[in-house]
Amino acid sequence: MSDQTSDPQSQVQVRFTTRHADVAVPTAPILVPTTLKRYGLSEVINHLLDTDTPTPFDFLINGSFLRTSLDDYLTQNGLSRETVVEIEYIRAVLPPSHLASY
Amino acid sequence: DLDLDAMGDVEPTRTLEEARELWQRHEQSTQDLAIGLCEQLRLILEPTLATKMRGDFRTGKRLNMKRIIPYIASQYKKDKIWMRRTKPSKRQYQVMIAIDDSKSMAESESVNLAFETMALVAKALTQLEVGQISIVSFGEQTRLVHPFSQPFTSEAGTKVFQHFSFDQQRTNVRALTETSVSLFESARALQDIRAGGDELWQLEIIISDGVCEDHEALKRLVRRAREEKIMMIFVIIDALHGSRKDSILDMNQVKYETVNGQMKLNMSRYLDTFPFDYFVIVRDVKELPGVLSSALRQWFAALTQSS
Ligand SMILES: [Mg+2]
Repeated sequence: MSDQTSDPQSQVQVRFTTRHADVAVPTAPILVPTTLKRYGLSEVINHLLDTDTPTPFDFLINGSFLRTSLDDYLTQNGLSRETVVEIEYIRAVLPPSHLASY
Repeated sequence: DLDLDAMGDVEPTRTLEEARELWQRHEQSTQDLAIGLCEQLRLILEPTLATKMRGDFRTGKRLNMKRIIPYIASQYKKDKIWMRRTKPSKRQYQVMIAIDDSKSMAESESVNLAFETMALVAKALTQLEVGQISIVSFGEQTRLVHPFSQPFTSEAGTKVFQHFSFDQQRTNVRALTETSVSLFESARALQDIRAGGDELWQLEIIISDGVCEDHEALKRLVRRAREEKIMMIFVIIDALHGSRKDSILDMNQVKYETVNGQMKLNMSRYLDTFPFDYFVIVRDVKELPGVLSSALRQWFAALTQSS
C-alpha cells in the first residue's frame, strides 16, 4: 500500500505527573516526538513552567529512570505507541555538569 | 490488497453470532437517530438537484418570452411558446465511511461510540437511497471491509463488525487518505460507465479519536482529494468516558523547528494544525445528526460559492 516505513514525525501521547507541587504542569496529554530523551523532555517541562532559569529533570516510566529515547524505551518494553505514556518527573539528582552526557 | 478477496486471509476478530448481536444492538439503539439524520440529509442533499425551465412546448408552466413575437407574426401558428421544468439530472453519491481500528480507540473507550456512529451513518444513508456506501477500516493497515458494489444490508453490517478489533498498533491516516482517493478513483470510473451523464459526488466520513501524525503531509493529501472533488469530513470521537476525562481540545503537541540553524521547541494546540478542513467533535452519538448535517451544509455552501 503506501509508505509504511517513512516516518518523519513519529509521535506519542505522554502525560506528565510529579510529586513536587511547585513544578507541576497540566495533566492533559501532550503529543511529543518519540525521539525525545531526558534532555528533550526536560525542555518540554521547562517550556510549560515558563521559568527564566531552566530546571533539569529526571524522568520515570513505570518506576524506572528513562535513559534512552522514548522510542527505544517503548520498543524495549514492548509498549504500544497507541497508549498514553504516563511519565513521572523529579528534580534531577545529578549535578548539572553530568547531565550533558545523557 | 484493496480487494475484498484479500479479506479472506484476515481472520475475523469475533464470531458471526457475536458480530450479529453487536450490530443489532447498535442498529436498534440508533434507529430513531438514523431516521432523523436521514431526513436532515435529505433536505441538504436533494434540493441541490439542478432543475431548469426549458422551452419549447404547446403547454407548460411559464411563457418563453422569446417566442411571443414570432408567435404573433406567424398568425399564432408557431405556438410552442411554453416552457416546462425538465427532469432533473440525477445526482448520485458514493459515500465511504472510514473507521479507526487502532488501539488508541480502545484505550480512550471510544469503541462503543464508534460502533454507534458507524451503524447510525450507514443506516441513515441506506434509507436515503442516494447512492452507494463503502466501509474501510484503518490503523496500521487500511482495509476495504464493504465495497461500493454491494448493498449495505444488516447482514453486511454484521460482516463489517466482525472485522474490527481496535488493536492495530499504528494510526496511519496518511495511508488511509491515499487509499481512499484511489478507491474513489476506480469507483468513479465504474460509475461513469454505468450511469452516463448523472452527476457523481464523492464523500468520505472518517470516524476516529483524531490522534494522527504528520499533519503537513496530510494537508497536501486532503487538498489533492478536494481537487478531485472528494469531500472528507472528519468526525472526532472525543470520549470523555475515560477515567481521566481528557479532551482532544486540551491536547498540545511539541514540534522542533530549525530557527537560524538551531532546533527550537514549539508547542501548539493539537487541533490548530489539524489537517482536515471539515471536522466535527462528537462526545455523544446523539450529537452526530446535528453536527454532521451542519458540516455537510457548510461544504455545500463553500461549493456553491467557489463554482
Ligand atoms: Mg490511534
